Amino acid sequence: LSEERKRDYYLSGIPVPETPEKGEKPGPWGKTSVIGKRMPRVDAYDRVSGSAVYPSDVVIPGMTYGAILRCPYPNAIVKSVDTSRAEKMPGVVAVISGSSREADVQWPYSKDTRTKLFDPHCRFEGEEVAAAAADTPYHAWDAVRAIKAEYEVLPFNVEEERALQAGVPPVHPGGNRVTPRETYKRGDVGKGFAEADVVREREFHTECEIHTPMELHGCVASWDGKCLTIWESTQGVYAVQSMAAQVLGLPLSRVRVIGHYMGGAFGSKLQAGKYTVIAALLARKSGRPVKLFLSREETYLCVGNRPPAHMSIKAGVKKDGTLTALDFSAVGTGGAYPAGGTGLLDWLVKDLYLCPNVRTEMQDVYINSGPSRPFRAPGHPQCSWALEQIMDELADAIGMDPVELRLRNIPSYSQGRTGNPPYTTTGLRECLEEGSKAFGWKEARRKGKGGGHIRRGVGMAAALWAAGGGRPPSTIIIKLFSDGSVNLNMGASDIGTGTKTVMAMVISEELGVKPDLIQIENADTGTTQYATPSGGSKTVPTEAPAVRAAAISVKRQLLEMAAEDLRLDPADLLFEGNEIVSKNDPAVGIGITSVQGLKKRGVVVGVGYRGPNPEHRSINPFAAQFCEVEVDMKTGEVRIIRFLGAHESGRVMNRLTFDTQVYGGITMGIGFGMSEVRILDEGQTGKVLTRNWHDYKLPTALDVPAGMVSSPVEIDDDEANTTGAKGLGEPVTIPTAAAIANAVFNATGIRIVTTPMDPLNLVGPFAGGRKERQG
Amino acid sequence: VITNFSYVRPGTLRDAISFLSAEGVRLSAGGTDLLGCLRDEVFDAKMVVSLGGLKGLKGITEVNGIVRIGALTTITEVAEHPLLRERYAGLAEAAESVASPQLRNQGTIGGTLCQKPRCWYYRGEFHCLRKGGDRCFARDGQNQYHCVLGGGPCYIVHPSDVAAALVAFDARISAMGPGGKRTLPAAGFHVLPGVDVRRETVLAHNEIVTEILLPSHGVGTRSSYRKVMARRSWDFAVAGVALVLNLEGERVRKARVVLSGAAPVPWRSREAEEVIAGSTLRPGDVSKAADAAMKNAIPLAHNGYKVPLFRGMIEEELAAYASFHSFP
Repeated sequence: LSEERKRDYYLSGIPVPETPEKGEKPGPWGKTSVIGKRMPRVDAYDRVSGSAVYPSDVVIPGMTYGAILRCPYPNAIVKSVDTSRAEKMPGVVAVISGSSREADVQWPYSKDTRTKLFDPHCRFEGEEVAAAAADTPYHAWDAVRAIKAEYEVLPFNVEEERALQAGVPPVHPGGNRVTPRETYKRGDVGKGFAEADVVREREFHTECEIHTPMELHGCVASWDGKCLTIWESTQGVYAVQSMAAQVLGLPLSRVRVIGHYMGGAFGSKLQAGKYTVIAALLARKSGRPVKLFLSREETYLCVGNRPPAHMSIKAGVKKDGTLTALDFSAVGTGGAYPAGGTGLLDWLVKDLYLCPNVRTEMQDVYINSGPSRPFRAPGHPQCSWALEQIMDELADAIGMDPVELRLRNIPSYSQGRTGNPPYTTTGLRECLEEGSKAFGWKEARRKGKGGGHIRRGVGMAAALWAAGGGRPPSTIIIKLFSDGSVNLNMGASDIGTGTKTVMAMVISEELGVKPDLIQIENADTGTTQYATPSGGSKTVPTEAPAVRAAAISVKRQLLEMAAEDLRLDPADLLFEGNEIVSKNDPAVGIGITSVQGLKKRGVVVGVGYRGPNPEHRSINPFAAQFCEVEVDMKTGEVRIIRFLGAHESGRVMNRLTFDTQVYGGITMGIGFGMSEVRILDEGQTGKVLTRNWHDYKLPTALDVPAGMVSSPVEIDDDEANTTGAKGLGEPVTIPTAAAIANAVFNATGIRIVTTPMDPLNLVGPFAGGRKERQG
Repeated sequence: VITNFSYVRPGTLRDAISFLSAEGVRLSAGGTDLLGCLRDEVFDAKMVVSLGGLKGLKGITEVNGIVRIGALTTITEVAEHPLLRERYAGLAEAAESVASPQLRNQGTIGGTLCQKPRCWYYRGEFHCLRKGGDRCFARDGQNQYHCVLGGGPCYIVHPSDVAAALVAFDARISAMGPGGKRTLPAAGFHVLPGVDVRRETVLAHNEIVTEILLPSHGVGTRSSYRKVMARRSWDFAVAGVALVLNLEGERVRKARVVLSGAAPVPWRSREAEEVIAGSTLRPGDVSKAADAAMKNAIPLAHNGYKVPLFRGMIEEELAAYASFHSFP
C-alpha cells in the first residue's frame, strides 16, 4: 500500500466525504476542503490568452459570411424587395427575402404570436427584411446594400406613456394592450393605509437598458446532409436547438448546437435569434457554412433590452416601523411583440417585506421598438428603485434608521406565492445586520454631510430574487479514467459566471481529484445531456447537485469494485483521499488506480440527475447593499466612494467567483442607475439614437469605486439541495441603483425618481433652490 | 460598411498637400475617428492620406518664449509635457480629460482641432443639414447633448476639450496649403453653422494644420480646465470651461473664459470675462460671472439643464481660484 501511495501523484490528499449508503440521500457537506475556497477559473488561461474558441472565433473550411437587411423605420410595410442586383454581385452565394420559397418559415415572437421570418409588416426599426451570404463579410454587406427594398412608412409610437391614448397608432390590430391589466391583491390596502401613522406616495421611472455583452449575437451554421450544426453564442444550447428545430421543421436529433464558450449575454441569449435561422437558411441555400454575427449597432435594435418602467408606489407604516400597506401600479413595454414588458415588475412589492395589505396592478403595452428579452433579474432592479426608495422615505418620516425599518418587516415565508410556502432560509436579517456592521453603517450615518457644495451621504437597499433555487432537469455524466483523471460531461453553458470551475470543485470535493485533472466538456447537444439554459441564477443550484450525485455514483461503483479486489463487503469500505480502505482495519486498502474493475474497463461512468426541490418551500437568495457617495451640488456629479454587498446565496461554492459576481452585479447596477439609457427619436423618426458604446453609456472603470467589498452571508441550507447553494448572479444587481439613490438623498435631501443619476438629470433638481433668470 | 479607398503615406508635407487636390481625399493623423466616420457613412473616402510619415510635425519646442506644438503631437504628450503642465496647466488638463488613455496615445492635437461633431443625428442614418440635407433633426428632436449658445441652423457642440483651452491661451494655429503657410488665431479657427453649416473649420480642403503656437503669458497666470461628463471617463464634455486668469495680487488683471460643450465652436464668454476682469473673485463676482456666461443661452427642449450646469461649474471653478488666494 505504501508503494501505491507514492505513485498516486494525481491526488493532493484531498479528504473525501463519506459515500452515502445505497438509496440514501447524500447528507450535507460538513467541513469542506475544496468547496468555498478561492479557486481561479479552470479555463482562465484559455480565456485570457485567446486560445479559448468562442463561437465568433469559429472558422471552418468553405465558410461564408452572412449579413441582414433591416427595416430602417419603426413601422412600415415592405412593398417590394428586389434582390436581383445583389445576387449577381461578386462572391455572393445566397440571398433570401420574404418572397424566397426557402425562407417561408414562421418566427415565434411568443407562444401565441407568430410572424413570417421576413414579415411584410415591420413593427420596429431593425426588423429583418432580407439577408445575403458571400465569401467575405464585405461582399455580404455590399450585397445587402444592393438589395432594393421599398417601404410604405406607417405612423408609429415609441412612447409607452402614450400607448393607450386615443389616436395613437396601434402596433397590432387589437390595440396596444399586450394583455388585460394584471392585478394582485391581498388584505385590504384601504384598511392598511388607515392603520398607518405615515403614508408616502411617489412616482418613479427607470429607463430602458440594453444588454450589450462583449461577444456579439450570432452563430456559424453548417449542414452535413440532413443534419445542421450551429456554433452559437448562447446561454443554452438545448434552447437554441429546440427553437431552430421548431422553426426549420427538423427533428431535434438533426440539429446539433455547440456553445463551449460564450462572451456574455445577461439574459439576451436564452433562445435562438432570427439570425440563427437566417444563417441556417443561407447555409442550406448556398451549400456552404455561414457565419452570421450581428454588428454592435444591430444589437441595440433587435436582441433585447430591460423594459422601461413607470411606477407609482404608495406605502404606509406605523411609528414602530410595522408596514401596513403597499399599493403599486406600473406601466411597462416589451416593445412591438409580447415580451414581458412588466414581467416580475411587482415581485419585490409582493414578497420582500412582511406586509398584510398589498395591491399591485400592471399594464404591459406595445410600442414600435425592439422586443425586450430577460435582463439580469427581470423586473427587480426597476421595482427595487421604487420600493427601496419609498422605504427610505418612510424611515425618514418616522425617524427610524432605514436598516432598522427593514429589520422590523422580515418575512419567513413567501407572501407572493400561493399557500405562502416558507423560505428554506431567509438571509435577509443577516444580510442587513452583518452587512451594516461590515460597512460601518451607523458610524457612516452619523458622519457629517460636509458644509460646502460637495456633500457626502450613505445609502442602502435590500433585495431578494424571485428564483435562484434551481430545479430539475439536469443529467450529468462523470467519467473516471484508469489514470485517475476525470471527464465531466454537462449540457449547461458557463456564461462567464464560473460554472465550470464550481463543478470541478464539486468533483474535487467528492472524488479527491485535483481540479487540473478534470476535463469539462459542456454545452453541446451532440455530446452532452439535456440542460435548461443558464439563466435565472439557477445554474449552480441546478447542476451542482447533479454533479455531486454523479460523483457519488462513481465512488459507489469504485467501492464495489474494490470490495471484490479486497474480498470485503462494500459497506465495510470507505474513501480515504485517493484510496479505498477498510473501516475496521485502515491497513487494508487499495489505491483507486489499482482497482481491477477500473483497470479492466478503462473507465467508470457515473450518472447524476437533479432531484426535485422540497415541497411547499420557496428557495430564494437575499441581499443588502450599502454605499457611500459624494455629490457635487453645483454640477450634479455623483462619485461613488465605496460599495458593500452582503449576499446570502446559501453555501459559497467558490469565494473568488462569488466575489467577482458581486463586483460585476454592482458594476452593472451602477450602469443602470447612473448612466445607461436607450434614447429613441420620439416625435420625429422613432429611430434608436444610442446605438454604439459612446452614445449608450456603460460605466467605465472610473465610474466604479475601487472600494468594493463582498461580504458573503453564509447560512446552511440543507433543504434547498444537496450542495446547499442558491443562485447569486441576479440578486447582486437588484438593489444597487436604489442604494445609490438613497445615498444621494442622504447627502442632499433630494429624492431622485428617474434613472440615470447623471448630471443631465441631477443638476436641475440640485439647482432648484436658485432663482432662475427670467427669459 | 466602409467603401474601398486607396492609402498613401507621403514623406513630405509638400507631397501630402499635393494629394489633397483630388476629390474625396481624407487625412489621417491619429486616425482615431476616421474609420468611425467612414463606417458610420458620415463621409466616404476615395483616398486616405496618412500624415504618419511627417516627422517634422511632431513634438513640443520652445523658441523665444513661444511654445510650438507640432500638429501630430499626441494628446498624451500634451497632457504630460512638463513645460505645458507648468505654464499652460489648463491645456495639459484639457488634454488629460480627453477620451481614454488609448485614444490619447493615438489621437493628435491637430486631429482634435479638426474632428467631426458627435451629434447622434449627424453620426446616424439621418440626412441632416451638415451632411447636405435640408433639416436639423436635433432642433426639434433629442437634443440633450446639443448647444445652448451659437446654435442655428445646426445645433452641434464642438467636441474638442483641447480647442477650448487653446482659445483661452490665445493660441495661433498654422496651416500649410499649396500657396504656402498661414497662421490664424485659434479663436477664429472654427466655423459657426450660421456662417457655413457644412464645415467645422476655416481650413480649405487642401490645407493641413502643421503647428500650434502658444504665446507667453508671463508671471501671475493661472489656468485650468474643468469638464463635466455623463460618466466619469471616456466621454465628451457635457459642459466644460477653460480658464486663463492673469492675476495681480488678488485682483484679476485679465481673464479668458472659454466654454466647451456649449456651442458649435469653442465659445469665448466675453460676458463672463468682463465681470471677472478687475475683480477679486469675491463670491458675488463669481456668481455674477457664472450668470453672465449663460446670459445669452437659448436652451432647446432637452438641454435646459446645461444652463444651471454651466453656472454651477463656472462658480465652482472660479471659487477655487479665490480660495487659492485666501490660502497662499
